Amino acid sequence: MASTACFVIVSKNDIPIYEAEVGSAPKKEDLAYQHQFILHAALDVVQDLAWTTNAMFLKSVDRFNDLVVSVYVTAGHILSKSSFSPLLQPRVDSHGSISFCYQCCNANTIFMLLHDSRSEDGIKSFFQEVHELYIKIFLNPLYLPGSRITSSHFDTKVRALARKYL
Amino acid sequence: MEPGLSIESGSAIRVAVLPVGGPIPPPRLREYAALVARHARVDLASLRTYYAEHQKSPFAHQPWDTGCLRLKFVLGGCVPSPWEDFQSSRKVLAVIGICHLPSSSDLDRVAAEFVDAARSYPSALANRCFAFCPTDAQLAGKKRDDIIMLPPSDQQSLELHMLTMIQDLAASLLMEFEKWVLRAESTGTILKTPLDSQSSLGSEEVIKAKKRRLGRAQKIIGDYCLLAGSPVDANAHYTTAIELARLTGDVFWHAGALEGSVCALVVDRMGQSDPVLEDEVKYRYYTIIQLYRRATLQDNAQRVSPVSFELEAALKLARYLCRRELAKEVSDLLMGAADGAKALIDASDRLILYIEIARLFGTLGYKRKAAFFSRQVAQLYLQQDNAYAAMSAMQVLTMTTNAYHVQSRKTSKMNHDSSKEPRTDSGKVHPQSIVSLFESQWSTLQMVVLREILMSSIRAADPLSSWSAAARLLRSFYPLITPAGQSGLASSLANSADKLPTGTRCADPCLPFIRLHSFPLHPSQRDIVKRNPQKKEWWTGAGPSGPFIYTPFSKAGASGTSKQEVSWIVGEPVQVMVELANPCSFDLVVESIYLSVHSGNFDAFPVSVRLPPNTSKLVLLSGIPTQVGQISIPGCIVHCFGVITEHLFKEVDCLLLGAAQGLVLSDPFRCCGSSKFKCVNFPSISVVPPLPLLVANVVGGDGSILLYEGEIRDVLITLTNAGTVPVEEANIALSGKNQDSVISIAHSTWKSALPIKPGGEVTFTVTLRAWHLSSADLEADGNRSPANARRIAREGINPFLDIHYAGPAANPENGDVSLPPGRRLVVPLNICVVQGMRLVRARLLSMEIPARFTEAHLRPASGKDGISAGNDTEPTDTNELKIDPYKGSWGLRLLELELFNPTDVVFDVDVAVNLDDMDVDQKVISEVNAAAAACHKTRIDRDYSARVLIPLENFKLPVLDASFFVKESGSDGPLGSRAAAIAERNAKAELNASINNLISKIKVKWYSGRNSSGELNIKDAIQAALQASIMDILLPDPLTFSFKLAQNGAVTNVDSSKDAGNLSSYSNDENIAPTGNVLRCKDPISAHEMTHMEVQIRNNTKEIIRMNLSISCKDVAGQNCFDENSATVLWAGVLSEIHLEVPPLQEVVHPFSVYFLVPGDYSLQASSVIIDATDVLRARAKAESPDEPILCRGSPFHIRVVGTA
Repeated sequence: MASTACFVIVSKNDIPIYEAEVGSAPKKEDLAYQHQFILHAALDVVQDLAWTTNAMFLKSVDRFNDLVVSVYVTAGHILSKSSFSPLLQPRVDSHGSISFCYQCCNANTIFMLLHDSRSEDGIKSFFQEVHELYIKIFLNPLYLPGSRITSSHFDTKVRALARKYL
Repeated sequence: MEPGLSIESGSAIRVAVLPVGGPIPPPRLREYAALVARHARVDLASLRTYYAEHQKSPFAHQPWDTGCLRLKFVLGGCVPSPWEDFQSSRKVLAVIGICHLPSSSDLDRVAAEFVDAARSYPSALANRCFAFCPTDAQLAGKKRDDIIMLPPSDQQSLELHMLTMIQDLAASLLMEFEKWVLRAESTGTILKTPLDSQSSLGSEEVIKAKKRRLGRAQKIIGDYCLLAGSPVDANAHYTTAIELARLTGDVFWHAGALEGSVCALVVDRMGQSDPVLEDEVKYRYYTIIQLYRRATLQDNAQRVSPVSFELEAALKLARYLCRRELAKEVSDLLMGAADGAKALIDASDRLILYIEIARLFGTLGYKRKAAFFSRQVAQLYLQQDNAYAAMSAMQVLTMTTNAYHVQSRKTSKMNHDSSKEPRTDSGKVHPQSIVSLFESQWSTLQMVVLREILMSSIRAADPLSSWSAAARLLRSFYPLITPAGQSGLASSLANSADKLPTGTRCADPCLPFIRLHSFPLHPSQRDIVKRNPQKKEWWTGAGPSGPFIYTPFSKAGASGTSKQEVSWIVGEPVQVMVELANPCSFDLVVESIYLSVHSGNFDAFPVSVRLPPNTSKLVLLSGIPTQVGQISIPGCIVHCFGVITEHLFKEVDCLLLGAAQGLVLSDPFRCCGSSKFKCVNFPSISVVPPLPLLVANVVGGDGSILLYEGEIRDVLITLTNAGTVPVEEANIALSGKNQDSVISIAHSTWKSALPIKPGGEVTFTVTLRAWHLSSADLEADGNRSPANARRIAREGINPFLDIHYAGPAANPENGDVSLPPGRRLVVPLNICVVQGMRLVRARLLSMEIPARFTEAHLRPASGKDGISAGNDTEPTDTNELKIDPYKGSWGLRLLELELFNPTDVVFDVDVAVNLDDMDVDQKVISEVNAAAAACHKTRIDRDYSARVLIPLENFKLPVLDASFFVKESGSDGPLGSRAAAIAERNAKAELNASINNLISKIKVKWYSGRNSSGELNIKDAIQAALQASIMDILLPDPLTFSFKLAQNGAVTNVDSSKDAGNLSSYSNDENIAPTGNVLRCKDPISAHEMTHMEVQIRNNTKEIIRMNLSISCKDVAGQNCFDENSATVLWAGVLSEIHLEVPPLQEVVHPFSVYFLVPGDYSLQASSVIIDATDVLRARAKAESPDEPILCRGSPFHIRVVGTA
């Protein structure tokens, strides 16, 4: 298992909807901040890079010192940008009014992992399995797309996957 | 490392700009420095006048027409670099002194100081000292060579002057370069870098150094050629240097020469973007980087590492390539450079590296990357322990706030003024735009950045910045901060505020959260009614007419999607309700809060609020509009934590929307236990010119008017014009519930007072009658303490006076009369009805009078009287006359009202019966606790009951006399009581009307001990009591009898056309006794005289009636006087068994004469047995068997006979 690993899911609004320190190194608050800063900064590169390739897994897109950022961009990214096949879904918003909104399947979601290990295959598998978990979260009708993932089940699973693959 | 390096920077002449002499005020220094620094490029062509060619110039290919010298001014100078031999552009080649003469008068001292300062730059080839703002004396004095004075003049001539000076400087520099190059070419120089170790001077090293010297010299000459603005010459020298360096294996200098050649290439082709050139530059620079790396590896063991040159080269290339389409390459270069940071030993080198990387990422458009490296820079600054570093850190961090979306509102407002307006035209917030507001919000990072800004600003002693940062931190991230942390932030806010002058404003709001709650409009504000010039009665239909807030008939579009409009009036205070929330765990003291109005026509009144932890509070903010125009209230100005901030409602609305969508951490109002979020649209507010303002005042206090049930009272209402405009027209109407309790309004009083001038007042009377309490009210009363009959007036049951009024029409001079709006004043008449006299029950009395006479009695006299309907008197009872028929109780019906006084005062009751529009006070027999005394007023003590008797003798309705019966008879077919019942049902409506008519004539007035009076509402009770026997009371007899005196041929009409309105309800075998009232002859009749009389029989039916009439006379004792045995009365004419036929609705007169022998009281009575009675008559008489004889009898006619003897 990698000594340092910080995993973040970034929603389409560039808001982190899930954050986890999954490294085995003892947790230090300052470092955690630093990890997030690095991941946040890497978004610039990722968003440029995502347009140049159709691969979902972008390995080592960015680095700072010894830490490497690997990214998994979900497929909805491109769909939503060009809004080809939005699912027309009636949604009851918080004011009780029913609105039809274009809601794309996990649009724009970016999984970002900051790591110091080089096990590329493990990282890729980790991303793929987390993507499945994420889709399950997304299928939850009570989950408001774009909002924070608070499911403890999801958290447990992600940490288990991290132990397994990283 | 040096900041701001680019490929071309090899061609820049470094000039140190040093302030000398006395202290220069910073703005002045900045001004002077700018004056100098604007001449960073000096064209070679302009130098010719100052240039003198002493020798043959070594710069053979100098482009005198197009070339230029580049000057790089370094304000404050710099530390001499150990690498300045390696790159001549690192040398300070000239020194400029700047002197502000007003602060340093002694020119000699200035000159000396400048020489001292210039001495620390041994590489300087030219020095100039500029002195600004000299005095006249200094100007007039001896012209000095060492100080150039720039006399005070306008900006333009100063600039021109400075240009000349700089050109002169540049020319002398150029000449110095020529000298230097010539000398170097002829003699050669020894050039060393820190890389060349001083210690190892072995023979091999010396030989190597000799070999390399030539190449190095060529490189330096190339540098000077570049500085002299001759890239072609430079290129030639560099090419030689590259060859030599490669041959001698001088890797480091090889790279330097290569770098110089690229610089020459780029300078030569300046302004051209050539892909071939770019590729060339790229290729060469990668070689350079490789060479530097090799040099680094080679000299790894050495103390000084040339790694910074490698990084600088990378940065230079990155800057050269820095374009969006090459982003990948540039970011790779920069990331590589960032990796090299570890190798840098010097912290300031690392600082410069990160700064450069951040700048380049920023140029590339990678804001987040730039912010990341800026933060690294700030952290490096923070590692240094001094205030300036902290200040720098703070400023750098402030630059990152945009990328982290924690920027101060001060800067964000400038950036996008209204572009990020989330509201669309319709006033609805588009969810997508709300989302965009919260984009890229990494709360953890935001908190860290803000905390670092706070820390650095505290260290930099910038209280405003620290206040702002703490405010942003607390406001945005309070849910993520522990209570202790929140208190810490609060105290740091307070500490910062202590250092700030009072009244400091800050762009960033702190706590509390403020949202608009509502507009609690004062009634006088709300009820502004638009006047329609076409409509005379403009008030109709203007206001809400019913109890409903919404009516489907109101004007469409008045509510709903369109923005509501509110009019405020100049000079009249208005209020706005806002909700404050303190979601933090400390007590929040808002020193003052008031509405923020930018339009400047509003005076807001501050209030101060204290918010305990985790609470929200509704606060009413008020103010006065001062000028006509539009008012927009974007938010509130809050003075809290010692600083004044503006809180915008819109921001909180967006925040709450974001919270609703799960984008923000928490809703500050929800966590304070406030209600659910509702978006209040701010209405468009316009201020209108002053209007009249009426204030109503109920005389005697505004409390509720306490009335007993049925009480009638006059209430005085005073209207005062509190405005500044006279009231010219007005209208008063009623609205609300229980409108009928207002009997009258003295319209004439107030109308005569119009126009009401400002300050004027008018008092008018409104007459009220308290309504009757329902049983529910009574029960509610009973639940309260019974001793206290007062009760609180319930909401919504009161009537209102709607007063519409308006001022004069404005400016009629320009033709069109614009009507200012009118207003409405609603005066609630707070009536509190308490229980007064209570009617326990009402009934028709069953008079205990013999109900029936035997046939023997009957025949001589008709000693008969009326009995109430439900009374079953015994048919065997005889002779029991309780009421003397001669005293006039004949046919009398008494309605008994039992009254109870539950109040605590005495009541006087007065019964009035209004007959034929004329009040006739009837005799009232009252029994107060068995004290039977006839009086007009009945006094009922508290907690006592009393009975009031109302005689109903006069209630035969002459109007309905015949017609009703006619109608009845006409419509009735069947026989018997069934037919009658059907008839009654058919005529029910008419009957009810007549009953109501009857009842309305009975009025029971009371006077309470509280000096109030009123009427008892007894309608229902009377109706119930009368219902059963109403037919008897109302319907006329089939026959009416009346007696007349016929004296001297003239008939004295005795009004006997009364209706003996009741047929007897019981039936006897042989008679039916209709009873009538007792009639009297007004004038007494003399005894011993023949009196001519006639009996008049009227047929009230539509059919002919045949009958046997008989007339009887009785004396006081009830003896029949027409008995043949009696000697008291003599008579002439037929008195019995007179057969008559009365045509329908006609009268028949039967004359007779009597002669009274004995004075006294007599009564005459006519009775008739109807022959072949029709069904109608039988029904009327309620005969049970068809063969019963139907007997009709008139009322007794009273005669007083006076004796003459």
